[in-house]
Amino acid sequence: MTVYGGRGWIVVNNSHVVFAIDLTTFKEVGRITGLTSPRYIHFVSDDKAYVTQLWDNRIFIVDPKRYEVTGYITVPDMAMESGSTEQMVQYGKYVYCNCWSYQNSIIKIDTETDRVVDRLEVGVQPESMVMDKFNRIWTVTDGGYEGSPYGQSTPALYRIDAESMIIEQRWDFRKGDEPRSLRLNGARDKIYWINDDVWCMDIAATRLPVRPWLESRGTRYYALTVSPADGDVYVADAIDYQQQGVIYRYSPEARLKDEFYVGVTPGAFCWK
Amino acid sequence: MKMKETMKRILTRMLCAACAATGMCVSAQDGVRVRQLGEAVAWGRRPMKEIGVQKTTFDSLALKENIALSMADVLTYNSSVFVKNYGRATLSTVAFRGTSPSHTQVTWNGMRINNPMLGMTDFSTIPSYFIDRASLLHGASSVNESGGGLGGLVRLGTAADVAPGWGVQYVQGIGSFSTFDEFARVTYGSDHWTVSTRAVYSSSPNDYKYRNRDKIMNIYDEDKNIIGRYHPVERNRSGDFKDMHVLQEVYYNTLAGDRLGMNVWFLDSDRGLPLLTTDYSDGLKVENRQHERTFRGVLSWDHSRSNWRTGLRSGYVNTWMAYDYSREVANGVMARMTRSRSRVNTIYGQAEGEYTSDSRKWYFTANVSLYQHFVKSKDKNIITQDGDNAVVGYDKGRVEMSVSASAKWQPVERMGLSLVLREELSGTRWTPVIPALFVDGLISRKGNVTARASVSRNYRFPSLNDLYFLPGGNPSLRDESGLTYDAGVSFDVGKAGVYSAGGSVTWFDSYIDDWIIWLPTTKGFFSPRNMKKVHAYGVEVKGNAAVQLPRGWMIDLSGSYSWTPSVNCGPKLSVADQSVGRQLPYVPRHSASVSGRLTWRSWGFLYKWAFYSKRYTMSSNDTTLSGHLPAYFMSNVAIDKSFSWRPLDMSLKLAVNNLFDEEYLSVLSHPMPGINFEFFISFTPKW
Repeated sequence: MTVYGGRGWIVVNNSHVVFAIDLTTFKEVGRITGLTSPRYIHFVSDDKAYVTQLWDNRIFIVDPKRYEVTGYITVPDMAMESGSTEQMVQYGKYVYCNCWSYQNSIIKIDTETDRVVDRLEVGVQPESMVMDKFNRIWTVTDGGYEGSPYGQSTPALYRIDAESMIIEQRWDFRKGDEPRSLRLNGARDKIYWINDDVWCMDIAATRLPVRPWLESRGTRYYALTVSPADGDVYVADAIDYQQQGVIYRYSPEARLKDEFYVGVTPGAFCWK
Repeated sequence: MKMKETMKRILTRMLCAACAATGMCVSAQDGVRVRQLGEAVAWGRRPMKEIGVQKTTFDSLALKENIALSMADVLTYNSSVFVKNYGRATLSTVAFRGTSPSHTQVTWNGMRINNPMLGMTDFSTIPSYFIDRASLLHGASSVNESGGGLGGLVRLGTAADVAPGWGVQYVQGIGSFSTFDEFARVTYGSDHWTVSTRAVYSSSPNDYKYRNRDKIMNIYDEDKNIIGRYHPVERNRSGDFKDMHVLQEVYYNTLAGDRLGMNVWFLDSDRGLPLLTTDYSDGLKVENRQHERTFRGVLSWDHSRSNWRTGLRSGYVNTWMAYDYSREVANGVMARMTRSRSRVNTIYGQAEGEYTSDSRKWYFTANVSLYQHFVKSKDKNIITQDGDNAVVGYDKGRVEMSVSASAKWQPVERMGLSLVLREELSGTRWTPVIPALFVDGLISRKGNVTARASVSRNYRFPSLNDLYFLPGGNPSLRDESGLTYDAGVSFDVGKAGVYSAGGSVTWFDSYIDDWIIWLPTTKGFFSPRNMKKVHAYGVEVKGNAAVQLPRGWMIDLSGSYSWTPSVNCGPKLSVADQSVGRQLPYVPRHSASVSGRLTWRSWGFLYKWAFYSKRYTMSSNDTTLSGHLPAYFMSNVAIDKSFSWRPLDMSLKLAVNNLFDEEYLSVLSHPMPGINFEFFISFTPKW
């Protein structure tokens, strides 16, 4: 889900639709249909947004005012059937997108021409991506799995210069680790991610942290977010994916402040 | 001619004896079909192999009700098991007593037919007209036939019951949603030979209309502001089917105690998998198809003497399955997302023996069966980095063996005891011994009031997909295990030609450990784990009554009811886990079925009713927007009329399904059809 223009934009992956809702009443105000398998929406302007897809080598261009698909950005050298484009961040007139499922790259899109202009190969399956206050891209790869037709590699955290599309630094995890859900705090100077435990690292750090910011409670943390207002960290636990998930709210010092139940499999957050 | 008439009378009496437990018999008199009540089976004549067994038997009237029915439909309206499906020609699974479909073993002519990849059986691919013998063995009773049936076992079979000489039957069905069903059978019977060929072909676009209450359509003004809303009426998309089955049987009876048999069943099923109610892909083309071709063949030899019987069976199964998922991406261009292909080859062999002592107080059995599975599964669409060999999927073989021995003892006429010991092998691993103990006793001859009880320990191996599927298979899975007790009372009364009545009440209690469940991983695919302890317990009640009324009227009723709490006993997956102590998703706490038949001369009227209570879809049993499926009642009726002329018999039947046009769901987001009709005409030439 993304908040833009006073509306909430809910991307419903398996139902091929993006709903727009009024953030006060939560009532639908419009929808975009006819999407292959939508993943994330990023607003380039009031008149144009990009919607990434699974099982499609195209990013859909949509008009959020008319709720219509107006075009496509085809990703070169990516097959339709195994296509994957995921999260997006923007720097200047360029949007950067990680290609996750059975993929291994970050692509750079010129928003004036709606074309892919550059590509950077990273490790197997870059799962999530953020841009820090210095406009550097951070991404974490999950490394795939043993026996994957796309191979398995050591999961890693990357820091990338957005302008030059060059990897500045890479930190390796252990093979078999499952890092994901890379997020920034409000000041965009700290990154958080889940790798069994919850980890936190200053963007100026040169080494991975030795100790987790929050140890696992014997369950599988599924997603996280950081409040841009006060730095509280919200961690989602999907439990068994068949019941209400629970959200744990921690202070920036990792002190549990609150917990509450939400819907089934809480997988994403956004802030109004 | 005299020999033919004699054989006809012998076969008719045998058929009546087979129907005796349900108190029903059909015979032809002066060309008019007459149904007669047989005797209730008296205690002293019940087979020793059924000491303590909790069994449900289906009569031929239920199995041969109409050609459009699958075994899933028969089980829904004539038993206490839970049948889960989402419409005709969709995956239909059966679960006993609060367990899962993979805990139900299924045999056909003695051979297990559970898919070794999935561990379960799709009952929608078993036409009821192909089955002559069907029974359910509940809980511990399944150990008599096979291991792994933590819930129970469905035993299906064909029989050499054909009239002497040539016989032909053809049935044509035409129904709602452009549905066509055809059935043909050719038989030949003689003193030694019995030959039967059956074929079924069913097809339909199955695009019924329904009001989609999971979707809201907006009405917009020129500025794209929403000015109105409604639930749309839509058509079931991608639910079409074309199913063909052929069954060839040949039996040879030496009339000196030996019988040889060959049963060959071929099916070709081409089906669309219906889209969800929450699919907003509008007019874009979608192909979501499953195609299966399966060959099953069993050869059998049975040798019978007065005190003992021995038998050998061998069989072969070949299954090819394909799943294709494609979507229109632009102007008729289809992108093929998934092209899954699986092939299963199974070789089967079985040897068995039975011995009854001269005193008729002891009965011994021994049985060994062997299965060798070869399975290849792949997704042809996944791009590989290394040549053309797709590595999503697996290529594995597994040997499975089951060895059992049993002793049944009837020390006095009123009491029977049975002990079964079974061992199962999977790959190189043996289970611990699977013991089952049964006891029954006649409480009162008046009414044949009988008490039964049993206890057993059982194990189920993970399926090949559980262990090896890529991505996600988990080779370190442990076997599931179960401990089951049950006890019950039954009665049977009747007077031949007047009435029959019977019933039973059974309490059951099962504990399942290391229940395997597939859960999402953080890498975007599912993987199985040994997650749960489950306590499934409850009560099963069955009853039947038939009355022969004057002037050729007959009425018979049968019903069943189950109370099935099936509770997750933990452990908690996290401190926030609210599922412990709750009912398992999709297991109804209450289920019931009733069927009633009224016949008069050549007319018949049938009413069937089924009920499932609320089913939770969330493991915490929360009932918010998508948290449960409401309870529903389902009624079907049928009326038929038979005609008999010199050259042929003919019958007409009109079946009405979902009589009260209920809107109901069996599976979340899959709409079910409203009221629908099918008309059948059947021809049986006489010569």
